[in-house]
Amino acid sequence: MNFSIVRTYSIAAKDMKELSKNMFVLTTAVMPFLFALMFGRQDDIPLVVHYLVINLTFASVTCFVQTALIAEEKEKKTLRSLMLSPATSTEILTGKSAVAAALTAATLVICMQITGYVPEGVYVYAGLAISLVFYLMVGLLLGLLARTLVEASVLILPVIFILGMGGLFIEFFQQYDIAAWLEYLPNFQLEYIAAAVGRGGGLADVSGYLLVITGWTVAAAVLTVAVYRKRTFIEE
Amino acid sequence: MSIIYMHQVSKYFGQEKALDGLDVEIGSGEIYGFLGPSGAGKTTTIHLLTGQMPITDGEAEVFGKPALQMKRRENLQRIGIMTEASGLYQRLTVQENLALFAKLYGVKQPKKRIDEVLELTGMQGDHKKLASKLSKGMTQRVLFARAVLHEPELLFLDEPTAALDPASSSRIHRGLKEMRERGTTIFLTTHDMQEAETLCDRVAFLDDGRVQLSDKPKLLRQAYADGTISVELKDGSAYSLQQTKDDAAKLADWIGSGRVAEVKTNLPTLGDIFIQTTGRELV
Ligand SMILES: Nc1ncnc2c1ncn2[C@@H]1O[C@H](COP(=O)(O)OP(=O)(O)OP(=O)(O)O)[C@@H](O)[C@H]1O
Ligand SMILES: [Mg+2]
Repeated sequence: MNFSIVRTYSIAAKDMKELSKNMFVLTTAVMPFLFALMFGRQDDIPLVVHYLVINLTFASVTCFVQTALIAEEKEKKTLRSLMLSPATSTEILTGKSAVAAALTAATLVICMQITGYVPEGVYVYAGLAISLVFYLMVGLLLGLLARTLVEASVLILPVIFILGMGGLFIEFFQQYDIAAWLEYLPNFQLEYIAAAVGRGGGLADVSGYLLVITGWTVAAAVLTVAVYRKRTFIEE
Repeated sequence: MSIIYMHQVSKYFGQEKALDGLDVEIGSGEIYGFLGPSGAGKTTTIHLLTGQMPITDGEAEVFGKPALQMKRRENLQRIGIMTEASGLYQRLTVQENLALFAKLYGVKQPKKRIDEVLELTGMQGDHKKLASKLSKGMTQRVLFARAVLHEPELLFLDEPTAALDPASSSRIHRGLKEMRERGTTIFLTTHDMQEAETLCDRVAFLDDGRVQLSDKPKLLRQAYADGTISVELKDGSAYSLQQTKDDAAKLADWIGSGRVAEVKTNLPTLGDIFIQTTGRELV
C-alpha cells in the first residue's frame, strides 16, 4: 500500500478550511473552554474538575469534530466522490483524524493554561494518547452511522453527557449499583490513572486502567472497521 | 479488446430484480448511450461497473478485470464518474473544489488543467464562487468538470445534461466529442432523445432488466422507418409518398417542373422506436 502524504494533507487542509466556516461545529467545540472558565479559575482545583475539562474536550472536540466531518461528507454527497477518487480509506480517515487531533491538542493546551493543570508522568500521557485514539474511533463510528450533520449532533449527546460530563453526574449515581460499572468507562479510568500517579503509584497501579482504556479502544476500532467495510459499498 | 463487457448480468435488491440478463459490450473510444424509463436500472448499471455494488450473477468486466476491482486505486485513476450521488464541498469555492481533486488524482499542471475544464464547462467567470451559492445547472457543470479533470480513459455520466440549458448542454456535448477524439470511452445515461441521437455512437434500450435493442442511432431509425417520403412543394402543399414506381414518377415530375421545396424520408425518433419495441414510454 502506498500511503500518500500529499493526498492526506490535501484532505486535512480541506477539512480544516470547511470546519473554520462551520459555526455549528465550532459552537460545540467551544464547550470545554466554557467549562474551564467556569470551574477552573479558583485555587486548589480538584482532579475531578481537570478531568471533566479534559474528557469534555475528547467528547465535544475530538469525537464531535470527527463525527461532524464524516456526517457532513455523507449529507453533501462528497464522501462517495472521495472514495471513488484514488484517495484510500486510510488517507481519508487519517486526514480527518489529523484535523480532529490537532484541534484536540490546541484545546487541551489552552484549557490547561486556564485551569493550571500539568499532566505528569508517562502513564498519564499514555492514557491521554490512547483516549485520543478511542474518541477518534467513536467519532468515526458515529459519523458513519449519522446521515446528516443534525443527526450527528444528536448522536454525540450521549457521548458528551456520559463520557464528557460523567464526572459531574457520578456523585448522583453513587447510591446505585450501576456506579460500579460506570467506573469502567474510559473517562473515569483516565482520571484514575492521574489519581494513582498523583499518589506516587507506578505501573502496577495504573496498568489495569490503561488496559481497560485500551480494551475500549480496540473494541471501538473493530466495530468501526466492520461498519466502514460495509459502507464502502452503496447500501442496498 | 472491449473496455466494458457485461454478460448475462443480473442484480437483485432483496427479492426485487433490477437487472436480469444484461448484455453490454463497449469498445474503446465509443460514446454509448443507455436509455430506459425511470427505474429501468441505468444508475444501478453504473454502480455495478464502478465497483460500488456487487453483481448478483453473470460477468461484468471493465478494462478486462472484474468490475469489483474498480475500487482499487490504480483503476480509479483511470475512470471518471458523475452520478446523482455526487456533491461538492459547500463551504469551498469552485476553484478549491477542483484543486482538491486535482491533488487527489495527481493531475500534472493542475492550474492549467483546471482552467481548461472551467472553460469547457463555461464556468471561467464563476471559479471564485462558493459551491453553496451555485445554481443547479452550475453545480452540475462543476461536477462534470471534476469528473473529467484527470482526463480519464473511461467516463461514466448519469444524466450529465439533465439540469442544463441548451447552450451548456451543447458545450458539454462538444467537450465529450473532443474527448472521444482523444480516445476516451464514454458511458452515459440520458432521457434526452435528441442528445442520444446526436451524441451517441451507439444506444441501448434498457427495459425489463435487460437490453432490448442496441445499435447506432441512425441505423435504428432507418431500420424502423416506414419507408414513406415527405414532400413539401413551393405552393405550401405537402404529400406523403410511398416508395413505388407511381410515386417516384410523381416526384420526378415535381422536380422536373421545379416545384419542390423540401424532401425527406420519415425517420421515427428513438422514443418512437422504444415504444414500438417495448410498448412503454421512454420518459
Ligand atoms: N441501493 C438500492 N437499494 C435498493 N434498491 C435499489 C437501490 N438502487 C436501485 N434500486 C432499485 O433498482 C431499480 C433500478 O433503479 P435505478 O436507480 O438503477 O433506475 P434508473 O434507470 O437509474 O432510473 P432513473 O431514470 O429514474 O434515474 C429501482 O427499482 C430501484 O428501486
Ligand atoms: Mg438513475
